[in-house]
Amino acid sequence: MTETQRQITESLVNDLQNGTLTEAQLRQKIADIAAGSDKKRQDVLYLQAGNTSPASQVIGMTYIEAGVLKEASSDPDEWHYQTVLDAVQDGWRIISFPNMALLAMSDEEAYGLGFEFILERWR
Amino acid sequence: MSPSEMKTYDCKPTLTDSQVLEFCTNGYLMLEGVVPDETNRRSLDYCDEFSNHEPSGILGQDWFVEDVIVNPVAAGAVRSLLGANFHLPVLMSNHRVPCPQGPTHWHVDGNYKHQHELNFLQVFYYPQDTPIEMGPTQMLPGSHLIHNKARFMCHLSGIRGAVSTAAPAGSIFLTVYHIWHRRGPSTATGMRNLLKYFYWRTTPPKRDWVIEPDFDFATARYDGPGQNYSEQFRDAVKVAETFLWLCGKHESFRNLGGQSWPLPANRTDLPYGFPDGLPLP
Repeated sequence: MTETQRQITESLVNDLQNGTLTEAQLRQKIADIAAGSDKKRQDVLYLQAGNTSPASQVIGMTYIEAGVLKEASSDPDEWHYQTVLDAVQDGWRIISFPNMALLAMSDEEAYGLGFEFILERWR
Repeated sequence: MSPSEMKTYDCKPTLTDSQVLEFCTNGYLMLEGVVPDETNRRSLDYCDEFSNHEPSGILGQDWFVEDVIVNPVAAGAVRSLLGANFHLPVLMSNHRVPCPQGPTHWHVDGNYKHQHELNFLQVFYYPQDTPIEMGPTQMLPGSHLIHNKARFMCHLSGIRGAVSTAAPAGSIFLTVYHIWHRRGPSTATGMRNLLKYFYWRTTPPKRDWVIEPDFDFATARYDGPGQNYSEQFRDAVKVAETFLWLCGKHESFRNLGGQSWPLPANRTDLPYGFPDGLPLP
């Protein structure tokens, strides 16, 4: 339930308790709550881990909240998640695992930043 | 010949063995507050008058060349890394932006060349105080050892190990060209200027910087922050190769694999595979 849906529900409860709720208001507010359900938005979390294990320390993070890019703290200790597993335990769903093709490029060289997991959740 | 007419320059090197090696591992060197205040003010006035992104005319100003381009501290560092008679800049860029601003994408600048040789330096100069609120450049130490392409980096944001170059007016920092960097987010109001220019090597590399009598090629630490982003010990091998190249000893470089030199370790004897021809303290 979104914050808006929660507010509509509370106003319905208040009106009901006060005896002021009409059938028209009830129908309208139910419609408002239902309309809000159609506006679910995706949050995306890129976590670059130190190795392929989702338990390894995160070395990079990008967070997109409801379509808006959020700048990560310059202090990694303040990041919400220190491992991919931390994020999974908080309700995030992994939708992409590290691309192992990078391993085949060279034994001598390193490419890219860590091992990237991409996660999502819906709000 | 006036300062602004010089094509090349020579001076005494100022960096020691350890400082040159540190540059190789970190990929940058910060020199805080080395330019006189008066020159910082004149530089800012110039940037305000010529507010385009390539105010190369400032390289024709003797006062600027004397105090910034061949600044004794900065030029001494450049001399240490690029050798005698290094070529002076012929292009000036100004990363001039109104603040507040969001950050730019992490990137490596175009036309990079990943190699063990160090034939040019990218140098930045802050003519004004540039605290964190003014969005100083952020860099990722050791990232010059990691391959990436700018268009593959645009989704990156927070990176563990990234550092800010927040510094007082008159600060100059030298970088390996392909180090990962970006403009940091700014929260203050005002115009931020950051001048960027290039020096080139014109002579073969040799160990003619400030020699440390007790510097030990066998036990020196060639690993650094690059190890956080690469396979174990690969950064040390790459740094050692660059350092020996700078010493004019690239023909001696070898990596026999396993626990041989230049891996960091507490050994009972000279590292196996220690290159022939390197001095011992």
